[in-house]
Amino acid sequence: MFERRLWRNLDYPLLLAVLALMAFGIVIIGSATRSGDVSAASLSFVKRQILWDALGLVTIFIVLLFDYGFVVRLTNVLYAANLLGLLLVLVKGRTVLGGQRWIAMGPFQLQPSEIGKVLLIITLAAFLKRREGKLSRPRDLVPAFLYVAVPMVLILRQPDLGTSLVFVAILFGMLYMAGARGHHLAVVAGTGLTVVVAILVLHFQYAVDLPLVKHFFKDYMMKRLVVFVDPQIDPLNAGYHIIQSKIAVGSGGLIGKGLFGGTQNQLNFLPEQHTDFIFAVVGEELGFLGAIALLGLYFFIIFRGLQIMANAKDTHGVLLSAGVLSMLTFHVLVNVGMVAGIMPVTGIPLPFMSYGGSSLLANAAAVGVLLNVGMRRQKILF
Amino acid sequence: MVSVPGMSMRKRVAFLFLFALVCIGLLIGRLGWLQLVRGEELRAKGDEARTRDVPIEPRRGVIYDRNFKELAISVNVDSVAAVPIQVKAPEETAKLLAEVLGVDYNDTLAKLKQRVWFVWLKRKIDDATSIKIKQLQQQGKLQGIELTQESQRFYPKANLASSVLGIAGIDSQGLGGLEYEYDNDLRGTPGRRIIETDAQGREIPEGLNRYIPAIDGNSLVLTIDETLQFIAERDLEKMMVEHQAKRGMAIVMDPNNGEILALANRPDFDPNHWQDYPEENRRIIAISDTYPPGSVFKPVTAAAALDEGVVRMTDLFYCGGTLRVPGALLHCWKAGGHGSETFSDVIKNSCNIGFIQVGMNRLGTDKFYKYLQAFGFLDLTGIDLPGEARGIVTPRAKATPLDIAEMSFGQTLTTTPIQMITAIAAIANGGTLVRPHLVKEIRSPEGKVIKSFTDNAVRRVVTQQTARELSVAMERVIEEGTGKSAYIEGYHLAGKTGTSQKVVNGRVSTEAHIASFVGFGPSDAPRLVTLVVVDEPGGYEQFGGQVAAPVFKDIMKDAYRYLEIPIRFDPAKAQKNEKPSVAVPEVVGQELAQAKNSLYQKGLAWRVEGDGDRVIEQLPPGGVQVPQGTTVILKVGPTGEVGTGEVLVPSIMGKTIREAGEILGSFGLKINPSGSGLATAQDPLPGVKVKRGAIVNVQFQTPPP
Repeated sequence: MFERRLWRNLDYPLLLAVLALMAFGIVIIGSATRSGDVSAASLSFVKRQILWDALGLVTIFIVLLFDYGFVVRLTNVLYAANLLGLLLVLVKGRTVLGGQRWIAMGPFQLQPSEIGKVLLIITLAAFLKRREGKLSRPRDLVPAFLYVAVPMVLILRQPDLGTSLVFVAILFGMLYMAGARGHHLAVVAGTGLTVVVAILVLHFQYAVDLPLVKHFFKDYMMKRLVVFVDPQIDPLNAGYHIIQSKIAVGSGGLIGKGLFGGTQNQLNFLPEQHTDFIFAVVGEELGFLGAIALLGLYFFIIFRGLQIMANAKDTHGVLLSAGVLSMLTFHVLVNVGMVAGIMPVTGIPLPFMSYGGSSLLANAAAVGVLLNVGMRRQKILF
Repeated sequence: MVSVPGMSMRKRVAFLFLFALVCIGLLIGRLGWLQLVRGEELRAKGDEARTRDVPIEPRRGVIYDRNFKELAISVNVDSVAAVPIQVKAPEETAKLLAEVLGVDYNDTLAKLKQRVWFVWLKRKIDDATSIKIKQLQQQGKLQGIELTQESQRFYPKANLASSVLGIAGIDSQGLGGLEYEYDNDLRGTPGRRIIETDAQGREIPEGLNRYIPAIDGNSLVLTIDETLQFIAERDLEKMMVEHQAKRGMAIVMDPNNGEILALANRPDFDPNHWQDYPEENRRIIAISDTYPPGSVFKPVTAAAALDEGVVRMTDLFYCGGTLRVPGALLHCWKAGGHGSETFSDVIKNSCNIGFIQVGMNRLGTDKFYKYLQAFGFLDLTGIDLPGEARGIVTPRAKATPLDIAEMSFGQTLTTTPIQMITAIAAIANGGTLVRPHLVKEIRSPEGKVIKSFTDNAVRRVVTQQTARELSVAMERVIEEGTGKSAYIEGYHLAGKTGTSQKVVNGRVSTEAHIASFVGFGPSDAPRLVTLVVVDEPGGYEQFGGQVAAPVFKDIMKDAYRYLEIPIRFDPAKAQKNEKPSVAVPEVVGQELAQAKNSLYQKGLAWRVEGDGDRVIEQLPPGGVQVPQGTTVILKVGPTGEVGTGEVLVPSIMGKTIREAGEILGSFGLKINPSGSGLATAQDPLPGVKVKRGAIVNVQFQTPPP
């Protein structure tokens, strides 16, 4: 099963880029959690992130061991497991920052919605593979939407708007590569966006809520969606984040204030600076050049991923790659966009950079899937 | 790849690649905009958020009177502020503060939740409240609430000189009067304490920490004398009550250097509670209002004519009561005219016709304007108060002979009271125009003189000779002319009355008057010049000689005493002052105001006894010859209503039957005469209360030949 040929086909540059991101992340988390005095306690974040990174590498390795075709048989089990995990978090989960996302797993806390993204990619790939070539009519898209809608509603109930949007991104990316027509997807996406904007305009301009809206969208969620347009709409929470984040990034200038030298970061003006807003620390301390370097790394990974997708040996591989790439790209765009004040504050972490175990393991597994597809791109010739 | 053809597959991958490329490109563009274009601005924002700049208020300078009595001081009081980020329990804190400070709960809560470093909750609280706050702080109940010291303006003399002093606002900024005019000197320079803090508002030990002490404001030493100010305000107030005047003002000035010793203003206000008064009360009438000066202006015309040599004191004029000038028929205030009179008499009598002849015929337009300019009627005086108005004078080029004629006795042009008194001061001091001013010195907080205003002479206006001659003539005005009610023996006061018609809505009003009086003393070496202007005195008495002259007299009397100005009795003058005798007019039955007016016309004084508005008895009685200036006692009683009212029986002793009938008739009483000749007995007696319509028995007898 493990031939040398497979190892030769492994995309080492991509893997190296991921390792570079992890290292980058450790350094920035170190800076973000330094908080004035260097003490053992403040290093605990760095130590734990190193542990997560190591577990992430192990995860990648484990994922590589199996041929991706093998999971097709497990599709229904995994889909059920996904729903179960998400239900569990609704029942037993711990509430942090307005969202019920974590369930305790011994000393750690697991975020089923992070794992859920990977499970969605895997199950949806098998689901769409069966419908390959039968997606050219609009109504052909309905089963796929329903398939994703079930776990998505559970996530929205947490409520976790950001992750459910990731689900949408994964769905669209995979549908596109499964052969759905671009303009159909564009119409659906446009309609969805229009409805959301209409809901928001009705809510904020006219104080009118359509039926069911209140059920899924909390007021704070709606505020976060529009806060980047006008931070004053929620100056105490999301608006404050945006303002401080823009100050941090902007004050970094071309070359930044130097590692550990960012006043916004070090003096705790920047909120969530080791998790969701970690990119602001990069912008402040390493400047425009540091930010470009980081975005460059992500672009490199996306570029290599697209190559893997283009060279995949079968549709299943293409769909898996498409899912992983959609997820990673969406995370990067929305997170950096949020930090730069042009995207809603949705609480989406920056892959391999933001502190957090579940997210790191999920992303590692996803990259593992991608590498797996790339490694097995050649059809076995007998 | 079965159903997705290779070409389509590549196209889709290429599309996704481009999509990712464009998105990342957009992000980089956005970052470039933030970091490269707006970098500096955002950096500044960050610095601002990080440093707390705590202002340290300087202490505002003291305002002293000329004898270093405090008129305005600053006291330290506490203000309550919050550092919202350090407030742990905003709801509880807001509730406590609402109770203790009496502020609105919701307002306060909103302030406590603001993302700012510093927010005022209530400025300048009293001591008791401050102690309560300190107690709560000690109990640890007010985390994040701070007391900071600020200074508050306090005016220990309340209303005294309020219009001159003005007010200082909540931030100790001058808002009116001298507080405004000298704000830059009084205010001082705020200090600052700059500290660097973290997001919780905690000071960073190794951070920036600079202390720049505040520089306290300088003090003002005024020319105002607190005692004279008090005298002027008291006497003005008395007049305001007596005459129900709309507004009034009095200026006392040292004519030699332009120092204003007192400036009283009615209405006034308490600067400690200025918000409780209408804004109108803060208007400084002396400098902000212009009015036609009327006869008070005549000395200026006289000075010009004397100085130009076009008239001498002994020149004879004839006043027939009216004078035709191009475009109008002008009247003298005295119906029938003053007849033949010297120029000195023209001044004494305040004769309009005489002044018209001097101004229009002898001086002429050019010379008239030359002196208008010289006496400062075409400029501002430059007094150190905000809001000095400019009097209105017809421009030289447009002036008609009628204008000159009317200006000669003080109509058609308007001046501010300060302009008027400054011009008269030039006559009083021997011919030099001075700059009126209120601040003598500016001193540092340590008391060192920084600036003193000593040189206040502006220019010579008339010769000393002219000024002397005119002073003598103006002394006659008080001794024997229209200003007699201001006469005090031995005080050597010189003055001029004035009554001008107000211009209301652009038309000359016949009802609304401005009564004024200007004068100085001692006339040979004046120490004080005083102007009293009364706006719309109510009631029957409207003339400057009746309304304003007594105020002038009262002020001068007390001022002489206070300043220990020697009183010189002049035996020659005393003899000369054997006043011409006049016949006391018959005023019984007249309304009180009418009676006073009759006595005034004759140059008699009066004292009123009793309550009411109709004269029931007078002493001496009508027709008796007495020297001018004699006091006539007027007993008054109520008029009563026809049918129901009761009246006091008037005295009709010594009257003819006809006179007695008229007097009793005016009280609604009937006469039952017996005998003939003059009344020798009456029943009921004078002062007895009877019903209207009652019959009074009067016995008449023919006096012995």
